[in-house]
Amino acid sequence: MRLFVQIITIIFLGYALEQFLPWWAIAVAAFAGGLLVNTNSNFLAGFVGIGLLWTGKALLTDLTTDVELADRVARIFMLNNKVLLLLVTFLISGFVGGFAAMSGGALRNPAPAR
Amino acid sequence: MKLAKFFASLVITLLLIYLMDRGWTIGSVSIPPLGKFLDPYHGFWQNIEPLGYQGKKQLEIPGLRAPVSVVYDSLLIPHIFASNNDDLYLAQGYVTAMYRLWQMEFQTHAAAGRVSEIISSDAVLDYDRRQRRLGMVFGAHRALKAMEDHPAIVQYTKGVNAYIESLSYRDLPFEYKLLNYKPEPWTPLKCALVLKNMAQSLNMGDKDLEMTNALKLFGKEMVDLLYPDNENTGDPIVNKPGEWTFPPVTLDTIALALPDDLIKIDKRPRMDPTTGSNNWAVAGSKTYTGHPMLAGDPHLELTLPSIWYALQLTAPGINSMGVSLPGVPCVIIGFNDSIAWSVTNAQRDLVDWYKITFKDETRSQYLLDGKWVDTKKVVEEIRLRDGSIFYDTVVYTHWGPVTYDHSFHASSEKNGYAFRWIAHDASEEINAFYRLNRAKNLREFNEALNFFSLPAQNFAFASVSGDIAMRIQGKFPVRRKEEGKFVLDGSKRSNGWQAFVPNEHAIYEANPSRGFVSSANQYPVDSTYPYYITSTHYEAYRNRRINDVLRNSGNITYRDMMRLQTDNYNLKAAESLPTFLSHIDTTQLTLLQRQAYRVLRGWDFYNSANSAGASYYEAWWDNLMALLWDEMDADTPMLDRPTTYTTIKLLKERPDLQFFDIVSTPERETAGDVIRKAFVLAVETIEEWKSTRATLPVWAEYKDSFIRHLLPPLTALGIPVKTGGNHDIVNAHDRRKGPSWRMVVSLEPSGIKAWAAYPGGQSGNPGSAFYSNMIPRWARGAYFSLLFMRSPDENIQKTFYTTVLNPKEK
Repeated sequence: MRLFVQIITIIFLGYALEQFLPWWAIAVAAFAGGLLVNTNSNFLAGFVGIGLLWTGKALLTDLTTDVELADRVARIFMLNNKVLLLLVTFLISGFVGGFAAMSGGALRNPAPAR
Repeated sequence: MKLAKFFASLVITLLLIYLMDRGWTIGSVSIPPLGKFLDPYHGFWQNIEPLGYQGKKQLEIPGLRAPVSVVYDSLLIPHIFASNNDDLYLAQGYVTAMYRLWQMEFQTHAAAGRVSEIISSDAVLDYDRRQRRLGMVFGAHRALKAMEDHPAIVQYTKGVNAYIESLSYRDLPFEYKLLNYKPEPWTPLKCALVLKNMAQSLNMGDKDLEMTNALKLFGKEMVDLLYPDNENTGDPIVNKPGEWTFPPVTLDTIALALPDDLIKIDKRPRMDPTTGSNNWAVAGSKTYTGHPMLAGDPHLELTLPSIWYALQLTAPGINSMGVSLPGVPCVIIGFNDSIAWSVTNAQRDLVDWYKITFKDETRSQYLLDGKWVDTKKVVEEIRLRDGSIFYDTVVYTHWGPVTYDHSFHASSEKNGYAFRWIAHDASEEINAFYRLNRAKNLREFNEALNFFSLPAQNFAFASVSGDIAMRIQGKFPVRRKEEGKFVLDGSKRSNGWQAFVPNEHAIYEANPSRGFVSSANQYPVDSTYPYYITSTHYEAYRNRRINDVLRNSGNITYRDMMRLQTDNYNLKAAESLPTFLSHIDTTQLTLLQRQAYRVLRGWDFYNSANSAGASYYEAWWDNLMALLWDEMDADTPMLDRPTTYTTIKLLKERPDLQFFDIVSTPERETAGDVIRKAFVLAVETIEEWKSTRATLPVWAEYKDSFIRHLLPPLTALGIPVKTGGNHDIVNAHDRRKGPSWRMVVSLEPSGIKAWAAYPGGQSGNPGSAFYSNMIPRWARGAYFSLLFMRSPDENIQKTFYTTVLNPKEK
């Protein structure tokens, strides 16, 4: 439950900070999420939270258009299609989020599991 | 322990951010900053426009005096309504930049030899050095002197810069994000560079070095046979023998000194003789409406973002619509409420190469009129992507920059080749277009063209008041006979351009009795015109087909005009295939060859999209040219193939010409042997093609056209198209080049009607539905009816949305 709250917090913070900061806003958000809502699985929370924040938005962008730029970008990156591009996006953002949340979490003791 | 974990993960986080906040180059592969680029809130995803996307409805722009309405129609063509000229051009700059900024800037970088700043490779550096050594920026600076204060240039520049200043990373055009760089401020010089870029595409063609080699290797008589000045293929553009009554400007006669050199320079890119354009205007006597009509389709290498940006410019004194060049104010090809005009390339030789003799390898002095004269050295700094600088010293002479010397594509330390180009001179095209956009009649059209120097064009004209006209306008040096065909001696000033053909002597006709004017890059004028004319080549087929059709038509409708613009009749094939087939001995054919023979026999000479005969013919032709002119295709010494027309003529009239022998075989071949060999190869070529594909070798599939992105490595951003036509055909779409804009205008006094299409779309953004939305209709040979508005409120049901540009309070 607490992990869920942490993931939601990270997504929410990430979304808010992306409006003002460059792309590394996700690191700030995940760091804060790790610090504020500390769990035993900070890395996982950051990884999943930020990964969803980015892939979700990318997916939404792709679903609301009839332009195939995502596929073209995938080809430029020598990936077969946009699904792979979304996966890469998930991994890249996820690792940044995961390690950032981990460092935030390391500043505090985790709350006792309930 | 805890602290260690904190530091370790923090370091990893920061390292990841660092790694993905900057771009990397691994070998020749360039990777954009992955974090920035893939971030869906700032990166490339932000360039993807949602379904039905509309831009902002209100914008605040510094520098405007009053609000400007920009009404977009369903094609995203902006109809700009301004209350004064200054605001009009500021708005044109702003709006064009909104849709085409990356392309505008990239073209100026390409013209100025600055591509290495964006992508580095040996080939790109060589390209950049060549651009500098051709004096592109030198020419742009000189051109600018005549137009930098023009209000259209000044205001356009302001508009582009207002847009650039409004951008954050999120709003940058896609290509900046992908290639990881930023736009720099726009300048009037960049407007001049865009014009030079077009001049380079159209007016830099020459074969002086190739002709010099041909002269040395084959002798003058053979040169005259292979490369005649005039092939006499049919109607010249203007044909009024005996009516050129003015006394021409003449030069002192000096004996023509032919060079005796074999020049070992690897000149690239080689000239492509197959580009061209069509335009014609028909008088009311031949049209269904009783009023003139005009058609134009300029052919260029097709690229995305599209070469042209369509728009309508409206302010007191001007209501003009058509296409503009992104980066230059005004409408370049189009119409206004009184007249219409379109251009084709005039193909004249506006380039000369001068052989320079340096005193020594320092290249500090060169021989001119018996004295050693100082050169001027300019050190070009070419910035590379990695931040380092490549220095290239370019030597300037009386003639212009020395393009080829021992440091660039040539080996001699004592000699170099200086480049003289018409576009090195001051010129004021903007003034010409500014007036043309406002011209009301034939007289004002002619007054506007008096300001036009380059690139030399054939201007077709038609007006609501009933006039049609053709004027070949440009700055043409007065030449002595055969001067400029070969490399000239750069040690004599008298070999230079000493006078130019005055505007009053321009090749021109108005309202000819045949009821139409037309041009398709053919030879310009009848033999009584008193100036010597030379060129790399003149077109031989499209012009005859167009004139045949127009001559035999009456009651012409706009649909007839469209049908002619997209006509696939292959006159070249009609004139050559029967001869080719007559050389084939049908008893000696294999099964596949017999099939091919039968397809060709039954072919109707139309390069339609679904024609198999066209594929076999074109494959035969391409193989034949390569076998025939194998002598000409080596890199050094560089030579040029004779034209298509001359080739066919020689095959028929001189079957035993020495060149028809294939060098690599021991036998001595004549025309018939080579034609048969080419046929065998053609069938093999087609069979090989078939073996890798599931489709029949119909022409559109076999031709396999592709509209590439402006940056060749980005093949993923290009678009394949399947069409009929080819070079030498009125519908001139070959694999890469073709009609970059097709326009038909009916000049009716009750209101001008116009139809058009181009192979692309109004938006340069590959994330927009308008990046390529016109391609399918263009490929079918169909048109869009253009919305020509008189006020921003008119026809509002046909418009998409309106953006009001408001003056920004300071």
